[in-house]
Amino acid sequence: MKKTLIAASLAALFSTTPAIAQEDLRAEMRALREEVQRLRAELDAVKKTAPVPMPSAPLAPAVAPLATATPTPSPSPQTAPAPAAAEHESATSLFGYAELSYSRPKDAAATQATAGRVVFGLGHQFNERTKFVTELEVEHAVVSADDSGEVAIEQAYIEHQINDGLAAKAGLYLIPLGYMNESHEPPNYYGVKRNFVETAIIPTTWREIGLGLTGNTDFGLRWDAGVTTGFDLTKWDSTDGEAIESPLGAIHQEGQLAKAGNLAVYGALNYNGIPGFNAGGGIFHGGVAQKQADFASPDARLTLAEAHARWTPGNWDLSTLYAIGQFSNTEAYNLTQVGNPYPVPKRFDGWYVQAAYKAWSAGDHTLSPFARYEAFNTARKYDDALTEFGYSARPTEKVVTAGLSFKLHPQVVLKTDYQWFREDSTRNIFNLGLGVAY
Amino acid sequence: MSERYLQNSAALIFSTFILVACGGGSESSGTATPGLPNETLSSVAALGEQIFNDASLSASGKMSCATCHQPAAAHAAPASGTNGIGTPDGGPALDVQGFRKAPSLRYLKFAPAFNFDAEGTPNGGFMRDGRFQSLAEQAGKPFFEPHEMALANAAELASKAGAANWAAAFKAQFGADVFGDPAKALDRIAYALAQYQKEDPAFAPFDSKYDAFLAGKTTLTPTELRGLALFNDPQKGNCAACHPSARSANVPGPLFTDFSYDVLGVPRNDKIRANRDTNYFDLGLCGPFRKDMTGRTDLCGAFKVPTLRNVAVGGPYFHNGRFATLKEAMRFYVRRDTNPEEWYPRLPDGSIDKFDDLPAAWRKNVNATEVPYNRKAGDAPALNDSEIDDLIAFLTTLNDGWTPQH
Repeated sequence: MKKTLIAASLAALFSTTPAIAQEDLRAEMRALREEVQRLRAELDAVKKTAPVPMPSAPLAPAVAPLATATPTPSPSPQTAPAPAAAEHESATSLFGYAELSYSRPKDAAATQATAGRVVFGLGHQFNERTKFVTELEVEHAVVSADDSGEVAIEQAYIEHQINDGLAAKAGLYLIPLGYMNESHEPPNYYGVKRNFVETAIIPTTWREIGLGLTGNTDFGLRWDAGVTTGFDLTKWDSTDGEAIESPLGAIHQEGQLAKAGNLAVYGALNYNGIPGFNAGGGIFHGGVAQKQADFASPDARLTLAEAHARWTPGNWDLSTLYAIGQFSNTEAYNLTQVGNPYPVPKRFDGWYVQAAYKAWSAGDHTLSPFARYEAFNTARKYDDALTEFGYSARPTEKVVTAGLSFKLHPQVVLKTDYQWFREDSTRNIFNLGLGVAY
Repeated sequence: MSERYLQNSAALIFSTFILVACGGGSESSGTATPGLPNETLSSVAALGEQIFNDASLSASGKMSCATCHQPAAAHAAPASGTNGIGTPDGGPALDVQGFRKAPSLRYLKFAPAFNFDAEGTPNGGFMRDGRFQSLAEQAGKPFFEPHEMALANAAELASKAGAANWAAAFKAQFGADVFGDPAKALDRIAYALAQYQKEDPAFAPFDSKYDAFLAGKTTLTPTELRGLALFNDPQKGNCAACHPSARSANVPGPLFTDFSYDVLGVPRNDKIRANRDTNYFDLGLCGPFRKDMTGRTDLCGAFKVPTLRNVAVGGPYFHNGRFATLKEAMRFYVRRDTNPEEWYPRLPDGSIDKFDDLPAAWRKNVNATEVPYNRKAGDAPALNDSEIDDLIAFLTTLNDGWTPQH
């Protein structure tokens, strides 16, 4: 029976997460094997001390989080505690990740090293069906009134496994759009910094408070749907450059006293039926005026959509993603801001292609060079009414990133890269990074 | 897993969805107009209103707070006083000219106390040099200024107040012996005046056309919109750099001032009698009225950035009322450096005496880096006359008391 379980678990893993790079798959297999061995030992110990009835449900739900995870699942589901032998016994687990970097642009005076993120995760598995996941993030090492650091709850949600193919969650959780939002731990991506498209167009790490459902079909389709809080356009500051760096990053609410007069809906589909291949997309839509009194554009809305694909033949890891955001009904608000440098764009979008190759491996060690080309524009189009005031689409920034990832362990990575900016070459930068997830 | 369990779980989740979705869909109820609370004035503020309008509290018996701060003129006194410098003459015979244009009292309750911000720049305070820390501190001063109400001291104020028709109510509020203690009487009078300014919505109505526009309740004309664009544009008017046009936190609408100080180099106004003395200079933060920063010569010539709300109600403009019209004031901003000969006198040698209202040593304090001052003689001004007209059209939308046209 145990062998069957292991096989079933691995089959579930393969059928639902084929987009994981091969080395990641092997790491997952190792981790699972160790987990099963540990469970077996625990079970033997329990049997010796006091015979208890076998759980009525098989172990399948224990690995079910993997089946419902993103193509590259975050550590929280991976490291969620395995249920104890007894059905109602609970378990708590710790996990987390960290990202440190050194960056040297052309202007050497701007060279900087920072502990960009250190995240502490705490999960609690109440029983085989229900768990609580929370993550606490500290940015830039120090937080005080005079420092630029930040402490934030990145996730805090309950997930309940309704059956093998259906799970529900409620709380503060990551929206399943793109590759990076739900899988943003440093060992899971190439490059010292997160890519531009999935930070400037899709904000990362983007979480909302809401309710969601995740389902998996037998033929490898994962679907997500939910109702959550959305963005707050009343926070838009047309004088602040942050609005042009990441339009949605400038107005996200992150579960901090989030205005919830308007709720948003999202849906995502991912096809994982062919091992080594993933394709999917998602959409998020909602009002952004949040029913605030005396706001000039009460019907303002946002739609964000993306499509992605990843293929991992042999030692290759190839991926691409396109994301597009659209604000609507914002003209009246923009006219109140006319003359300021950063009105609300009508459209913003971006795409990338990325290729990585595992050139060398020995034991846990791997070395993977990679290259990525990105093109993104955070103000692709403005309202026509702004044209007469001299506003026109901003130039599309194009960035080439090339570098190396050296993994000491599947979850410990040393990275280096260089980034060339085509529009603004003064931003060209050399990066070194250290990433860990556990 | 039983099918019933699955059905129950799904039903629970979806019913929760529906509850949340419906809860978020209700229309917001109408809110009161910002700045217009429905409650009436407190008894202290009502006393303040009477004091504000009481001319008996002056040496002349003819000057009240309202003389310089007329409610009908946005609580200022446009074109009043000898030579029309914008502040009524005071003193026992109402023939003592003032030194600075009387500012509007509107929206002052949102001003912070004087401070140096994190970057070390001065900010906030009351009066054009920020020398008073609160509305109450400011309210107690004009009674004793020789060019204003010109009372000798607090005892004289207490004596006159004791004879006022609101004296009984004042005693009921602050104690029967309040007029027997002049310092206490002054303190309570100033407090009542401050409360009046804080509570009466007339001092901060936020009912301009621009407020209605921000709220999506009206539109601006094409001319007004062009003016707003020039106002905000960092490369054109750049006005919003010091007079923010966006709402700030915890205030119903934009205040059009960031409470900072700037040295503009406004030309000397010969209509002010004090200026007949060529050694007299009004230097703002570093004196002569403000006494605590005479050593900060880097701040000489700096005056507080005023709100632009109601700026089109009437001039003259700037601290010394040097310009009679808004258009002249706007032209000064953009042509000060490109055409200095239009604004400053010539010296005997033919050179232009630029920034002539500052001693030569402090002329370097004048802001010459920000748009629109970052130019030199012969450059094109940041705004042409047509653009200035657009800008003035926009500034007119900042007048309080706008009502929709039907």
